[in-house]
Amino acid sequence: MVHDARRAPRFRLVALIGNPNSGKTTLFNALTGLRQRVGNYPGVTVERKEGRLRMPEGPEATLLDLPGTYSLTPGSPDEQIATDILLGTARHTPPPDIVICVVDASHLERNLFLVSQIIDHRIPTVIALNMVDIAERSGIRIDVRSLARELGVPVIPTVASRSEGIRELIAALSDLRGANAPPNGWRLPAPVERETDELAGILEDVHHIAPAHARHEAMTLLTAESALLDRMDRFSPEVIAHVRRDHAKLDFLGFDRRSVFVESRYAWIKSVCMQSVARNPAAGMSLSDRIDAVVTHRVWGVVIFLALMAIVFQAMFSWAQLPMDMIREGFDWLGARTASAMPPGDLRDLIVHGGIAGVAAVVAFLPQILFLFLFLGLLEDTGYMARAAFIMGRVMSRVGLHGKSFIPLLGSFACAIPGIMATRTIDNPRDRLATMLVAPLMSCSARLPVYALMIAAVIPPLKILGFLSLPGLTMLSMYLLGLVMALLMAWIFKKTLLRGGPPSFIIELPPYTIPSLRSTLMLMWERAWLFLKRAGTIILGASILLWFLASYPKLEGGTPSEKLNHSFVGMAGRFVEPAIRPLGFDWRIGIGLITSLVQREVFVSTMATIYDVGSGESSGAGGLPERLRESKNPATGAGSFTPLTGICIMVYYVLAMQCFSTVAVMRRETNGWKWPLFQVAYMTALAYGVTFIVFRIGTAIAGGGV
Amino acid sequence: MASDDHMTLIDAPVGTCVRIRHLTSRPEIATRLRELGFCENAIVRCVMKGYGNIICEVYNTRVGLDSGIARRIHVSVSE
Repeated sequence: MVHDARRAPRFRLVALIGNPNSGKTTLFNALTGLRQRVGNYPGVTVERKEGRLRMPEGPEATLLDLPGTYSLTPGSPDEQIATDILLGTARHTPPPDIVICVVDASHLERNLFLVSQIIDHRIPTVIALNMVDIAERSGIRIDVRSLARELGVPVIPTVASRSEGIRELIAALSDLRGANAPPNGWRLPAPVERETDELAGILEDVHHIAPAHARHEAMTLLTAESALLDRMDRFSPEVIAHVRRDHAKLDFLGFDRRSVFVESRYAWIKSVCMQSVARNPAAGMSLSDRIDAVVTHRVWGVVIFLALMAIVFQAMFSWAQLPMDMIREGFDWLGARTASAMPPGDLRDLIVHGGIAGVAAVVAFLPQILFLFLFLGLLEDTGYMARAAFIMGRVMSRVGLHGKSFIPLLGSFACAIPGIMATRTIDNPRDRLATMLVAPLMSCSARLPVYALMIAAVIPPLKILGFLSLPGLTMLSMYLLGLVMALLMAWIFKKTLLRGGPPSFIIELPPYTIPSLRSTLMLMWERAWLFLKRAGTIILGASILLWFLASYPKLEGGTPSEKLNHSFVGMAGRFVEPAIRPLGFDWRIGIGLITSLVQREVFVSTMATIYDVGSGESSGAGGLPERLRESKNPATGAGSFTPLTGICIMVYYVLAMQCFSTVAVMRRETNGWKWPLFQVAYMTALAYGVTFIVFRIGTAIAGGGV
Repeated sequence: MASDDHMTLIDAPVGTCVRIRHLTSRPEIATRLRELGFCENAIVRCVMKGYGNIICEVYNTRVGLDSGIARRIHVSVSE
């Protein structure tokens, strides 16, 4: 496979690599347009993005967008993937025929660090010197010819956000023949150079590593003890002994092995920049400086942050409501039309209550997903996201989470699905997983109808201290319970399962830029489509299955309530009753727990069906609270919905993973069943445990009379 | 302010430039810092402190660090 790609007369695989914030994604979009495919690398949660690159003549090439990386010394799974592919050691992807390295012109020095590592590997490379307009505005002028001469590779100035330089970049790719000219190169101090060369030679001879890669490997081995330990099983004992002797020798000569390679590279970078860069910094503070003075200010920073979060929250909670209602009404109308157009029967029920209702359940999530990603895209593109992470860093690190975990958790108050999808902005996989695991504990909007029904049914509208109402306080405590549990569980996970070093915080604060509408729209489209494609099918399937279980075996005649009781779901409700009795729940609540697995608010319509209120589905909860309050347990004659039962149901809903859709999205985001199943298990156990405790304490306080 | 010998990045007054002498961070953090430009002899400008963090500028790039990391970056006053 690898060799096929190499043998082709024209190149086929072009890899795009660059530092985070170098405008790589914008350049990728400009080069490929809408011809993109998003997937995952096998076995990891790193996203793989590729698109078609149209060449002026000859065959099309595939452009692979590698994860952003600062160096070829991987620090995260993303960077590991980028490095493996570039060095040709990835099993899933052949080595690229050409590399486009995106370089942020305003931060040439830092970006050239990665460039110097890529050049070392002698992979045919073209440099896209991106955002030259911003650099020039801040007084940085780069002599492109001189830079290309110093680096030994073609350098094409681009402004990806305005598609400038794209044609020239593609032309440079077509003109590229063979490997790079050897650059003037960077030099190590003589003794270090000698040991590096010698070790590289040994690696070539003993382990048949290609010369360019052998040198990289030699430097990695000489730098750090940990690199040697990682590779113990890959190298022969003689090589390992040799590396240990080299360590001792360089230490004896007084070289700091951990820094000498980086320092030498930066010394070379400085000399390259001396030749090619003229700086004429604008007097006074730049615009970014002035914005930062306010946005990261001790007081104003928090105020601005909270205001922006309020807008995001408002959008997901209120603005998304209208399109969501329209979608629901649209599907209700479609269901009613279909029902009246078809003869009654199983097929009609399947299409209306299984198919159409299932599709509606999936599509109804779209407005919230689109809104959250609109804001995420804008916050990320403007450069504000890094500042938000900076401001929240201290607070979130108390529970072991990253500053960037805040926004996904906030989004989860509307719906855990976009919240979990939004964790992609968190680089550290452990921090990301911890955030995803606790996100569904935030009370989402689907729990609201359940809380509302229970509060209306069992919480008396008393006033406390004259101005606080007991129902309002109950609602607030449910939200707080979810929040506190989420932070507590995150802290526990980071102390146990996902233990890493203490959360450390190094974040680049890119200059502020005007966001590109195109990039934001593409992000929204990409996320929405991924959701529909991957989660949609599972949710639809689950919805049809649940319809079947709630409809069969059929009971001819009888009320909807009797039909439901007679069905598999009814049986299941009675079957689980012994398990949920310790929580104060009877089999009817058990049925509600099962049907609400599709969406939590289905609990309300199920209760309406069971208690024969209206026609069920769309008539809402009118009259239902009264019915619940009056209902008696036939066995004991006591009320089956006491205030304690209501509180227990709410507590259970706060903590339990009553949502197939979230499971489906977790599966997609973590690329396997392990974490979603773990999440279901821990949340169910947590819900059961806490509800049990609440029920016991409540019973004890009321002397068993509640 | 700490004496020059024991000065770390967290002690650098806002607005001043310091030169990095050495890093005593964990190896993987030190590697990341060096790649971002915080290598020995680099000049760093302290831009802002707050929220338990510090913002500094190195090679024209702004980087936010938590104080734990900044305390392990040993610096001297740059002339």
